[in-house]
Amino acid sequence: MSLTVFSVAVLFTSLGAGVVGAILGLGGGILLVPILTIFYGVDLHYAMGASIISVIATSSGAAASYLRTGLSNLRVGLFLVVATITGALTGAFLAGVVPTRWLELILGLALSYSAFTTIRQLGDELPKDVSTDGLAIRFGLEGTYHDLRLEREITYRARNVAGGFVAMYGAGVLSGMLGIGSGAFKVLAMDYLMRLPMKVSTATSNFMIGLTAAASAGIYFSRGDIHVLIVAPVAIGVLAGAYLGTTVMARMRNATVRKLFLPIVVYLALSMILRGLGIHLL
Amino acid sequence: MSALRPVFAVEHLVARVLLVGGLVGLALIAVGLGLYAAHGGFHHHVLQLTRPPGEAPPGVFTSMRQIVRGLRQRPIDPLAVSALGLVLLMITPGAAVTLAIPAFLSARDFRYAITATLVLAMLLVSLLLAGAIHS
Repeated sequence: MSLTVFSVAVLFTSLGAGVVGAILGLGGGILLVPILTIFYGVDLHYAMGASIISVIATSSGAAASYLRTGLSNLRVGLFLVVATITGALTGAFLAGVVPTRWLELILGLALSYSAFTTIRQLGDELPKDVSTDGLAIRFGLEGTYHDLRLEREITYRARNVAGGFVAMYGAGVLSGMLGIGSGAFKVLAMDYLMRLPMKVSTATSNFMIGLTAAASAGIYFSRGDIHVLIVAPVAIGVLAGAYLGTTVMARMRNATVRKLFLPIVVYLALSMILRGLGIHLL
Repeated sequence: MSALRPVFAVEHLVARVLLVGGLVGLALIAVGLGLYAAHGGFHHHVLQLTRPPGEAPPGVFTSMRQIVRGLRQRPIDPLAVSALGLVLLMITPGAAVTLAIPAFLSARDFRYAITATLVLAMLLVSLLLAGAIHS
């Protein structure tokens, strides 16, 4: 493919991935890796290198804006990222020791279950009663943001912090071993287990994914998976898209964000179950 | 309200680091691509999308040393400029956490100064592990 055509096409694709990533708290790898490999014929290693850069770019672009408006909760992010990075390090050690097919199957079933719970609470705009979780109070896992859609201040506090922390550790292990969907797991844990408002969950996930991706970016770089000519249009497109996405998301309803998130969970669940059965979509 | 203010200061600092790191990284990537285009890099260039075995193709840098070599070379290797921008982007999240530590300390929020230090330490550990696996 001609370099000019490739660069322009990838730039626009990445712009879209950046918008979606910023809204849903994902790095966009879940979208970019299949698009780059299937539609553009990019080598899987280069595509994953591009994806890790796209995660960092989405995170920097989106979190910069979300932290200023209070949608990203810095303390919740830092507290939970301790669990995810520890998990990712454990996962890197376990890879090759534990058979991944069973893990993929279990993960697929767990994700299917959370897809069901999502459907049940699809329309809920905000968590109803106030949390009195001891850990949340001790670590100040609470916050306030001005909701541009509801036009009022929203105050919230995390629930089930211990469960969320364990889930984040597990998410780290799995994404370290299987190399997938760490952003989606983070949003799930914050939304379902800790019952943070959906927009706070995706915005905080946006801050966290940059840190977890930064932890593994070095290995992709030194392996030679980062090709400047492939990654450059991705980084530019995704960063611009992420800035754009934050302004869109701030004006959305929590329920709408959750509806957009559901297909991602379903897709992840299906592809994990298939992988567990030995069928690779990619 | 006075208890909340220092915390927001930390958030604004982290936001600023992420913004500046992202924009400067972006600018370097764009300048590199612009120079590459000006040198005719985009003419009749068919991008190799598969990974060749052995020698890394132009556009793939695997160490800071290679990037510095490309930057010192005359005429300058434009792709090394873009690669520098990518590296800047990669270290931006770590830089944000690093600068959050003194900010939490000055806000007398020792719990989160420790948490941020822990996160930074783990980032460094994974960087070292990556280096160890590679070599």
